[in-house]
Amino acid sequence: MSTLRHPSRLLAIDGVAVSIVFLVMLGYFSVASPAFLTGDNIYNTFVESISTVLLAAGLTFVLISGGIDLSIGSTIGLSAAATLFVAMTGASTLMAVLAGLVTGLVIGTINGAFVAGAGVSDFIVTLATLSIGAGLLKVFTGRTQLTGTDNASFLALAEGRILGIPTGVFIAAVVLVVLEVILVKTPFGRAVYATGVNANAAFLAGVSVRRIRFSVFVISGVVAGIGGVLLASHLNSVQPGLGGGYELTAIAGCVVGGVSLAGGRGSIWRAALGAFFLSVLSRGLQLIGVDPLWFSIVTGAAIVAAVAFDRGAQRWLQSSPRPARALKTAADASTAQNAH
Amino acid sequence: MTIATPRHAQDLGISTVHQEQSLVPNLTAVENIFLGRELKTGTSRLIGVLDEKAMRARVLGLAHEFGLSERDVASPVEALGALKQHVVQIIKALAFKTRVLVLDEPTSGLADHERLTLFNYMRQLRERGISLLWVTHRLDELFGLADTITVLRDGKFVASVKPTDQTADSLVRLMVGRSNLEAREQLAQDLPRAGYTGKREEVLRLESISRLPLLHDINLTVSRGEILGIAGIAGAGRTETAMVVLGADQADSGQILLKSQRTRIRSPRDAARKGIAYVPEERKTHAILGGFSIKRNITISDLRRAATAGLILRGGLETASAKSYVTDLGIKTSSVQEKIRNLSGGNQQKVVIARCLFTRPDLIIFDEPTQGIDVGAKADVYRLIYEFVDQGGAAIVISSELPELIRVSDRIAVMREGTIVGQLQSTARDEVATETSELGEHIISLATRAGAGAAA
Amino acid sequence: MPTSSTHSSAGLRIQSILSKPGSGIVVMLVLFVIVMAVVSPAFVTFGNWQNIANQGVFVLLLALGMTVVLIARGIDLSVGSVMGLSAGVSAYLITQGLIFPLALLAGIACGIFCGLLNALMITKLGLPDFVATLAMLGVARGVLFLWTAGTPFTRYMTPAYSLVGGQTQIAGFVSIPIIISIAACIALSLLLRRSVLGRYLYAVGGNPDAARLSGIPVNRIKTYAYLISGGCAGLAGVILAGRATNVAPTMGTGYEILAITAAIIGGAALTGGQGRMIGAVLGALTITLITNAMNIAGISSEWQQLVTGVILLIAVLLDRLTTYFKHRQRSTEIAAAVSVDPTAKPVQHVMS
Repeated sequence: MSTLRHPSRLLAIDGVAVSIVFLVMLGYFSVASPAFLTGDNIYNTFVESISTVLLAAGLTFVLISGGIDLSIGSTIGLSAAATLFVAMTGASTLMAVLAGLVTGLVIGTINGAFVAGAGVSDFIVTLATLSIGAGLLKVFTGRTQLTGTDNASFLALAEGRILGIPTGVFIAAVVLVVLEVILVKTPFGRAVYATGVNANAAFLAGVSVRRIRFSVFVISGVVAGIGGVLLASHLNSVQPGLGGGYELTAIAGCVVGGVSLAGGRGSIWRAALGAFFLSVLSRGLQLIGVDPLWFSIVTGAAIVAAVAFDRGAQRWLQSSPRPARALKTAADASTAQNAH
Repeated sequence: MTIATPRHAQDLGISTVHQEQSLVPNLTAVENIFLGRELKTGTSRLIGVLDEKAMRARVLGLAHEFGLSERDVASPVEALGALKQHVVQIIKALAFKTRVLVLDEPTSGLADHERLTLFNYMRQLRERGISLLWVTHRLDELFGLADTITVLRDGKFVASVKPTDQTADSLVRLMVGRSNLEAREQLAQDLPRAGYTGKREEVLRLESISRLPLLHDINLTVSRGEILGIAGIAGAGRTETAMVVLGADQADSGQILLKSQRTRIRSPRDAARKGIAYVPEERKTHAILGGFSIKRNITISDLRRAATAGLILRGGLETASAKSYVTDLGIKTSSVQEKIRNLSGGNQQKVVIARCLFTRPDLIIFDEPTQGIDVGAKADVYRLIYEFVDQGGAAIVISSELPELIRVSDRIAVMREGTIVGQLQSTARDEVATETSELGEHIISLATRAGAGAAA
Repeated sequence: MPTSSTHSSAGLRIQSILSKPGSGIVVMLVLFVIVMAVVSPAFVTFGNWQNIANQGVFVLLLALGMTVVLIARGIDLSVGSVMGLSAGVSAYLITQGLIFPLALLAGIACGIFCGLLNALMITKLGLPDFVATLAMLGVARGVLFLWTAGTPFTRYMTPAYSLVGGQTQIAGFVSIPIIISIAACIALSLLLRRSVLGRYLYAVGGNPDAARLSGIPVNRIKTYAYLISGGCAGLAGVILAGRATNVAPTMGTGYEILAITAAIIGGAALTGGQGRMIGAVLGALTITLITNAMNIAGISSEWQQLVTGVILLIAVLLDRLTTYFKHRQRSTEIAAAVSVDPTAKPVQHVMS
């Protein structure tokens, strides 16, 4: 492999850089705060990161296909509300879970139908469903107090233990593995990548681009639904603003992990790592005594740094002297010149 | 000196007509022509007020000469047809006082009389003392117009010669280079084509296919072991016909018969299942998946075959099949994991053909299969087409290069204005050059309507 | 040859009206006002329209800047946060004793500076517009939170500021924010339609490659777009501080969605090269009218977010319909041309 000609080029391989930064950060927080590596803290970090990690993983399908889904924040909130509402009526845990999943499925299907069926811009459609979902949640919680249930089996969904691991974390991990397998190992996943790389070419080569565009929104919705179920079980209460802004954290996680917003590049594990990275960062900053108000600034900076680094690394990787690239490099150079 | 930006080049008096469309679709022709060089009142570069009237007045005369109406000039260029857009680009380069005019394949997609108009302009410009740097792959154009010809090969300077000292053949020799020459000559005479000996079963038949306003009443057939060429100028409906066969567009009326069975092709995916594959015209935007490896580009059209039970992809199987295609088709690469965008145009085209072959099709439609690839790769592409039909496949070849079409096809359908105006038996592969040129003239007259009465 | 003579001339007329961009929204607005006028007399009073205008200026100013950015094929998600931050800057500087006009200018400058940072991230670091302005959204919000330490800025109001904020009317019927908005709208409209910069903004959004080949400094033009958007956000923020009489850390949250909605309703598209200032005005008007009508109708504010989303969906669907009619009209025209003269060519100048 040409990328291994020089060891430093390892950095340019997808995902290596973010993993290194992640490990350095873990090291720093462990030294800086004695509380960081305690069992309690690790438990809390994992449990609290479940929502954004799941959202980022579902979103990854949409991003790789070249789309964007902003509605996931209100989807997770609404799913949580639906789940808890059904659980509070005394229905079985299964029914409650189904309620959450169906909510996600419905919102995902609406998004997919507008985007793939009516051909409306995904950014606008999901912005609209984000707004509608958040509005519905407000209206719903305004009328019904979702203050909790004592259904033990429902609460055990997130808070129980399997082999000492919190059930929620366990379920999330299983979901991640399944999603990664779908994305990397199935013809469907390959078609998602192809759609993101070049939708025209993929269509002419026999990929059902429309069906792919529809399916990724359904997947994103359902995964947000799973997140909502776990969130409802974890919190055992739903506030009117639940999930607000989660979509931005999830997008930030994907971007930091190296999923390309232009489509065609990324993977589930990288999105999950990116989202987890942001959770750990937020927690670590709190532990070393940084005001939590700094968090949105740090997230913003992390996004910029991650993307800028990624682009720098790509350019560096492409700077190897190959005749086929001479033209492109020249074009890049003239673009760079233009900037001055 | 170094020229840092396109703007700098313009300031130095260098204008360029680019091969690819370089217009802004939402702006009008006038706005596009003056883009970057607006006439304005006031001196400030960006805040100056645009002088729309003066710009319009200055361009109208030139526009009329090239057949653009006042209405054309005032509409967004996206509403103009492809040819008019091309004309706008040429006017854009001619409208200004330039010292050096760079023309990159300026005649591609132009009708003959438009080419002549353009050549007249080029002569006039030359007489006015403007230098023209003219990039073309059509050698016949060069003679009688160019003063010197510079030959480049593989990004290197080969020779600068006078057209008077050269013939088309000697130029070709320079372009190809001594080592490739033999391959080229063999190509010109006859590539090995064993001939298909099986049953001449009909693979595809189109009956009265219409898709208004682009296509009406198309009737075509192609059988196993046969290469059907489709000739015509750009915009005649050749690619549109392919899109209907591929299911990317649906016909308004008419029937498609596959192996004598009436059928409806819903999408390219459906077409792939029914044994139809397509090599697209615009390689970069419509064929290759740039960020994908060669391997993934080859298997994308039939992923179910590369997967266990159609569900889980088998990387090993994919790699093995890709490797065998790379070897068989002579794709030059170090590894099947190499990204396709790092290959040369010819090798990319071979990967796209491998993708088609991977679906084991009965029919492959080749749309401008040799556009923008070098002579050596062209021969390889022809060879692949021959091999495919010799093994019982049917091929449709769409091409704007007549000599190529005549050489490759068994039969040629000529299209004009969305319909088929004649079908000709091609004899060229065994015949001498004079007959080839007669056939060529016949096709050109059909395609441009000059001899419509002569349709066979 | 099949002809399409089934289309009556009236049908063609309606098609051609519907194919004009933005026509759908005007029709919707007129219908809406008529319905409201019938349902609620309070809606058509002068005082209520004054209210609508005063409420609408913030969305309008942000939508103007957003439209400019969208024309240049960008998107600015940071406008809401930047508006809040600018409000904070002028409020804070007044409490620190800076003279009033300078404090206002500093607020606007803060907006322009944020726009510049956006532009630098996009053109120099090569970040996608969406990511860069998303980061700016977080950073500007974070700075305001840290700076206010979670409690609002207060006690900066002066009589002059309540005039600028539109709490006091001039001559009893018009307020400074309205005058400023109209002026901004006219100025930007002239800039877009008559100036070289305007032409370049459309060119950069329509086809960046072609623009670059034509010698247009694409990055600089994009930078100007973000400066304009930042400036509009700054202006809106300065006025908002005067209106709200205190600057809360969350000031301006969610306004980016309203601004994008207004711009899209007004005919701008994420694909660039499209959009007009009058469209932004119509878009902002639509959003404000509907909010106002809901207030009058006594619909609780919980529903407003939901309704905004529904409007956005309807707006994009209307836009799709417009495009559909446009294509339909074009193919009807072609079919008509073909039917008049069976020898006419679809591509006329191919033959001589």
